[in-house]
Amino acid sequence: MQAGPGLKTGPRITYPRTRKMERSADYKAAGGKLVRIRLREEAGQIRSVKITGDFFLIPEESIGKLEKMLEDTPLREQELRLLVDRFYRATQAQGAGVTSDDFVKAILATREE
Amino acid sequence: MNLAMEEAIPRVVGEGKAPSTVRFWHNSNTIVIGCFQSAKLEVNMEACKETGTEIVRRFTGGGAVYHDSGNLNYAISLRKGHRLVPDGNLQSVFQRLSEGAVEGLRKLGVKAEFQPVNDIQVDGKKVSGAAGSIRWNSIFHHGCILVGSDLSILGRVLNVPRAKLEDKHVASVQKRVTTVRDELGRDISTSEVRDAIVEGIESCYGVRVDSGVLMKEEVGLAEELYQTKYSRLEWNLER
Repeated sequence: MQAGPGLKTGPRITYPRTRKMERSADYKAAGGKLVRIRLREEAGQIRSVKITGDFFLIPEESIGKLEKMLEDTPLREQELRLLVDRFYRATQAQGAGVTSDDFVKAILATREE
Repeated sequence: MNLAMEEAIPRVVGEGKAPSTVRFWHNSNTIVIGCFQSAKLEVNMEACKETGTEIVRRFTGGGAVYHDSGNLNYAISLRKGHRLVPDGNLQSVFQRLSEGAVEGLRKLGVKAEFQPVNDIQVDGKKVSGAAGSIRWNSIFHHGCILVGSDLSILGRVLNVPRAKLEDKHVASVQKRVTTVRDELGRDISTSEVRDAIVEGIESCYGVRVDSGVLMKEEVGLAEELYQTKYSRLEWNLER
């Protein structure tokens, strides 16, 4: 864009380019259930995440809440663990074949694949 | 419509408008996926088209199952706090409410055993999977028994992730499952298995199962759920 008559040209502001990555992992929990993670990461943070699989979690709608809570969370174990534990406390969610630890490990496994 | 009925019954039972219920049913060839599963990842869409297999999502978690006329589904709906599962723990629901089916299968001569999290197995092979939930003031448990299902189609239409098969030391889903027919070495009808499961439920839980028809409320709610949810692509395929 060219500077118009009333516009001053100035130093151009540039932003550092952030690395966006699609990451995925299929993680098998100790109970045999599969947790499949598909996420978008940007600058070390989760931008969006989809958690699918053959596990059980009640209330079922709470999975959407967990996905939402994970947005903008650093892809690091400590932060993920705190967040997933907070999710369980806040929603009183109950799993079968999957634990809070499994969700954390499944998300972290996306860094390896 | 069958999956809509699966949701309608526990809702009405939870409201106290219907008694504790066991429902038996079967579908023609359909893949029923768990509510957390991705249809795209779990189902071989091409094979479904070729074999005329429908894809429907249920409201409970767990894994994908293949339904055909050789398979028998049972669903138990109780009010929350029922004496059979007083603790409200989902794992207890699977264990306790699978016991009736296990006993029924044993009455037929199948060496069935409950295998946590939610399976009934014979010598390490799955003959039935269950799923369930605790909601709407009710406890819901449903299971799918492979009576004489066509396992060759099952192997084609489901994408079983490698991670799922690795620890079982088998190469395909077909080799991890069995049918009542194969275990008994004879043809057996789904109605014979149903009668055995009813007997198993009666003796295991000390109850009497009377046959009956669905209530108006249940049918009306199921029709509404079918229109607004279970007939829709966004429910069945998007996730």
